[in-house]
Amino acid sequence: MTAGTLSLHLRNDLSELATVSKNLEEFATSLGLSKRTMFQLNLVIDELVTNIINYAYRDDAEHRITVIVRFEEESLVMRVEDDGIPFNPILSAAPDCSCPVERRVVGKLGIHLARQFADDLVYERCGNRNVLTITKHVREETLAEGPQKSRSN
Amino acid sequence: MDIVGKKQNGIYVFTVSGRLDSNTSPDFETRLLGVIKEGDKNFVMNFEGVDYISSAGLRVLLKASKILQNSAGKIVLCGLKDYIKEVFEIAGFVTIFPIFSTVDSALHQF
Repeated sequence: MTAGTLSLHLRNDLSELATVSKNLEEFATSLGLSKRTMFQLNLVIDELVTNIINYAYRDDAEHRITVIVRFEEESLVMRVEDDGIPFNPILSAAPDCSCPVERRVVGKLGIHLARQFADDLVYERCGNRNVLTITKHVREETLAEGPQKSRSN
Repeated sequence: MDIVGKKQNGIYVFTVSGRLDSNTSPDFETRLLGVIKEGDKNFVMNFEGVDYISSAGLRVLLKASKILQNSAGKIVLCGLKDYIKEVFEIAGFVTIFPIFSTVDSALHQF
């Protein structure tokens, strides 16, 4: 398995999510990742970026959100950076997912899903930037489902 | 995303395909809530062709389900890919929406 890196520089506009999914699909296909892993990778980034676009900014200016995805040692390491208001998604309260439908709340589900599909999350506030590093382990059998990759040596 | 709706034995069947994300879910919401407003209350969502759903798509289903509580209506799902079903499980939506493998088995729940 050869290492790969994907860098995306997105505007704070929901239409950018189409760019995210298109690029992630190409990236995941080139690494031979399963459809399930590709989906979960897309979902985690989609939910985090959507949350940033909807809630991180107090002005109407254009902002940049940086997403970097690296594949290393059978893990996907995602780094999401924004210059919005401080927000640590790790500390965000989880919604109650077991109560009856009439008491279910419509919000907070996105961050909850992103956290559930990640194996490890690290949040840092660096100057005026939120930096979130998400690690997702990719199981051996998932890799075996993809096309054979030639070694680079 | 594509949505095809048709009534089958009094049950409204929506066949959805493609992506249900924050860009496409508003259309899905307009279609579904529009039909509910016209008086339909029993729905089958055929998600066989859905290859992506985010919380934006889940929210539409939850919102519709909350409205249907008042008219004793319900939404039943079918044809979910394993990795899509996993999202419903993690969100705790499997206790709200019964899930079946085929449209026929979903239609039998009414």
